[in-house]
Formats: sequence, structure tokens, C-alpha cells
Amino acid sequence: MGRTWQDMEAFEAFLDDGGIVEVDDHMPDEYRHAVFTFIEMHANSEYMGGLTERDWIPKTPGLRHKMSVLAKTQDEIGHGHLLYMVAADMGIKTRTEMIEDLMAGRSRFHNVFHYKAETWGDQVAIAFLVDAAALASQQAVFKNCSYGPYRRILKRIISEEGFHMRLGEDRMRRIAEGTQIQKDIFQGALDRWFWPALQLFGPDSKPDDKLLRWHIKSERNEVLRDKWVQKFVPMMHSYGFVVPASDLAYDEDTKKWDVGPIDWEPLKKTLAQGGPDSARRIREARDNWEATAWARRCLDGAAV
Amino acid sequence: MSNEAALREFLLAFADDEHLIGQQHTEWIGVAPFLEEDLAFSSIGQDELGHAVLLYELVCEIDGVEPTDAAIDALAYGRSAEEYRSSAFTEFGTTDWAEALVRHWIYDMVEDLRWQLVAESSHAGLASVAVRAQREEAYHRRHAEALIGSLVTTPGRVELERALDTVLALLPSLLAPVAGIEEMVAAGVTAAPLSSKSSDIASQINAAFDGEYEVQVGSGARQERSSAFGPLMARMREVLDLDPDAVW
Repeated sequence: MGRTWQDMEAFEAFLDDGGIVEVDDHMPDEYRHAVFTFIEMHANSEYMGGLTERDWIPKTPGLRHKMSVLAKTQDEIGHGHLLYMVAADMGIKTRTEMIEDLMAGRSRFHNVFHYKAETWGDQVAIAFLVDAAALASQQAVFKNCSYGPYRRILKRIISEEGFHMRLGEDRMRRIAEGTQIQKDIFQGALDRWFWPALQLFGPDSKPDDKLLRWHIKSERNEVLRDKWVQKFVPMMHSYGFVVPASDLAYDEDTKKWDVGPIDWEPLKKTLAQGGPDSARRIREARDNWEATAWARRCLDGAAV
Repeated sequence: MSNEAALREFLLAFADDEHLIGQQHTEWIGVAPFLEEDLAFSSIGQDELGHAVLLYELVCEIDGVEPTDAAIDALAYGRSAEEYRSSAFTEFGTTDWAEALVRHWIYDMVEDLRWQLVAESSHAGLASVAVRAQREEAYHRRHAEALIGSLVTTPGRVELERALDTVLALLPSLLAPVAGIEEMVAAGVTAAPLSSKSSDIASQINAAFDGEYEVQVGSGARQERSSAFGPLMARMREVLDLDPDAVW
């Protein structure tokens, strides 16, 4: 049977001591909701990420290449599948309720999936820049996450995401060594995806961030974001691409890149389902969901 | 027709069907009725594209070229429409899940028979591909049969029957013999033409639906493409056509 804690103070002391919470523990409601909302958003993002990539999978240039890309997107949807199970076990919403909330625009998913993949270059940029940003966030959660079931699932997700990033990097290298047309396509993608990928980390963490206090996240947003900038800015330069930040500067003293002020308005819009492609994305997902409702209805009572 | 030319026709027809059905399955990731079905269609799609690669490799062998990515892609995307040997059955694109499911069910039923016919082929390369493919086919068939078997007893049967009408109208194209099939049977490349299995296919369909459907065999040696082929190829080639010199 699950453990109980006298009060929030005792629960937080347990967490500070490196304690791991399990699904059958009598965890405080506030903690349960915070963890659930976090995992639900992660699950939604994996699923919506699969949909973003889906637009280009059938057009993948190359037969063996298409098999790799399909495997990657299958992983993403598979992560969504696992995460919805972990979230549903928390007893707040069923998987169907979570998916229906997502389709109705009532729940959130990461900012980057509110944008449209306009070209094949975008597909590569997502696999590279966005997956790297997502991976960095997930690693920081995994490192010290107090909710056991999530932490265990993250171990698998992180190892698969590592493959995706390498696939993305390999594709980007081919483009960087390729023709001018390819380079122009990728530069266009970089111009579109650099800022959304950076904004994925979110604004600087607040001093009273509960996710940090309860050891759900173990690293502040600004620290993760900075690590990403220090890795990707020089990498983009070394491949011969231009980083689309007009105030980009290198500080000789700190040996660090600074991208300048970050406009958080686009992120806020996506959180309110008002991103550039939010409406189409949610509408299409819902239309598809409704078009296959007959099968779910019929199979509900049937043994598959 | 020389044996080599007949073998090429035979392999291309099989490879093109595998390629195009795999391509059709890639359209279902994220939009099937359940996450489990998104995963199943993408997994099966990968297997079918993998079979296509293995079969195109055998075509490369006949053509005397190394089976590099570029050589495989030249076969998969680089021929003119009249050089393909795909069937209207696999060229057909659909956004209707009942049609996609019924097509998957019947395609894998037929594909399994197709591999069985070459399991002891005199062409050693083909026989060894068949061993691997048959292992995967067992899973594909179990997946389709479980869904069809469950849905057929529910009100969803109406959707399946509607889809079956569409799919059965296309089935003759999948069973149509390729040019030189007699030589292939005589040389032991395949035990019999696929068209000889039409009654077996009909009885499997009728067993599932408790029906009296008939299965016809097409003709024309797969020399002509259906109207779906052009748009399908354009979609597949959209990125490739941006720059013929690019390696992606």
C-alpha cells in the first residue's frame, strides 16, 4: 500500500532527501496535479510532434531514408503512448479524456508544434534543433525526477531521442555538404525554427517554481537554454549557416554566445493556442479523430 | 522473352507493390483511430518498404549495379510511369480508415501467399528474402485479422462492407499475371502464378464475412498505371524534384 505524509512539510522533506514517489502513494493533491499536468503536456507534445512530421514523411527523399524517418516518428507516437499511460495511472483523466481535451484545444502542447513544417528543411531542423532542445529538457528532468514512473519512462525516451538527434545531425551534414539549393532550403528552415526551438525552454524560472521545489525539474530554464545556445550557435556557424539573431554577440571574457533579448510573445501565443499553425493543427487532428470515431465506438465493446 | 527479362518483370511487380503499399501506410501515422493503430501502420509500413528494398536489390543484381541508396532510389522513384509494374490495388490512395484497413487485410493475405509461392524458389536470393518476409507477414496478418474479426460483428460491419466493395474492385489488378510468368513457373522461380490463388483468397474473405464474394483475376501484364499513380508519384518525388543533384 502507498505511503502517506503528515503534511506538505513532511512530503517536501522526503523529496529533498531524494525520495521517489510512486503511483500508489498518497501524494499531496497539488503535487499530483503538477506532475500530471507536466506529463500530460509531454505526452501531447510527442503526439503533436508526430503530426508535425507526418506532413513530410510520405515525401521523404529516398526509400531507406523513409524507413528511418518513419521509425523516428513511430518512436515519437510510441513515447506519447507510454506517457499517456503514466499520466492516466495518476487517476485524474483517462487517456481518451486527455486526447479529447487536446483535440478540443483545452490542454497544452509544446510551442514548437504550433508551427507548420513548411519544407523538407524544416523536417530536418525539427529533428535536429527541436529534438535537441526537448532532449536537454528531458535529461534535466530525468536526472533527479521525484516521480518514479515518469523517471523510468524517461530513461527509454531519452535513449531514443538521442538516436533522433543523430539522425537529424547526419541529415543536416549532408545538406551542409550539398548543393546551394539544399543549403538555401535549410537556411530558410533555420530562420523559422531557431527562435521557437530556443523558446521551448521557456522564460527564466521563477524563484518559487514548484516544479523545481518538488524535484520534478532539476535545472532552471535559463541554464538549459544557455547550454543549448552555447552548443548550437557554433555548430551552425561551423556548418556554414547564419544564426538568425540580429543581436548575436560573442563575449570574449566569458567565452560565451549571447543571442540578445528574447521576445516571449510568440511563446505566450502558442500557450493560448494562438500560434501560427495552432488552429489548423488542432482542427485537423480533431477531424481525423472524429472520422474514425465509428471504429473506436465499435471496438469499445468488442474483444480485439 | 528471356528468362532474365521475365525475372525482372516478376521482381519489379512484387517490389513496386511492396513499395507502394508501404508508402500508403506512411499516410496513417497520427491519424488512425487509436495510438496503437498509428504505431501498427507505421511499423507495418516500414516492413513493407524494407521488403521493397530487398526486392529492388535483386533487380540491381540483374542490372549489374551495386545496390547503393542511389541505385535503389533510381528504381523506386526514377522510372517513367510505363516502366513501373505496380497494381492499381497499391496505387490507390485513401483517407478512409475502413478502406485502409480492408486493403491492408487483403494485401497481406495475398502477400503471404506470394511469399509462400517463392519460399522454395530456384532463385536463392529470392528464397532467402521470403524467409525473412514471412516471419513479418505473420504479424501483419494477425494484426489485420484481429481487427477485421472484431469489427465484423459490430455495426462497423457496414463500413467494412462498403470498403470491401472498393477494395475488391481493385483486387484483380493485384492478381494480374506479369509478362513471362509461364517462364518463371517453368524455371522454378515461383511455384505457380499468384492468379492461381484467387479461390483461396475468395474463401478467406468469405469466411471472415460469411459472404459469397467472388475474386477476379486481371489482365494486361501490369503495363498500365491507374489514374492514382501520377499524383502518388508527384507526392513521393516532391523533395527529390527540387534538385536532381542533391543527396538528402
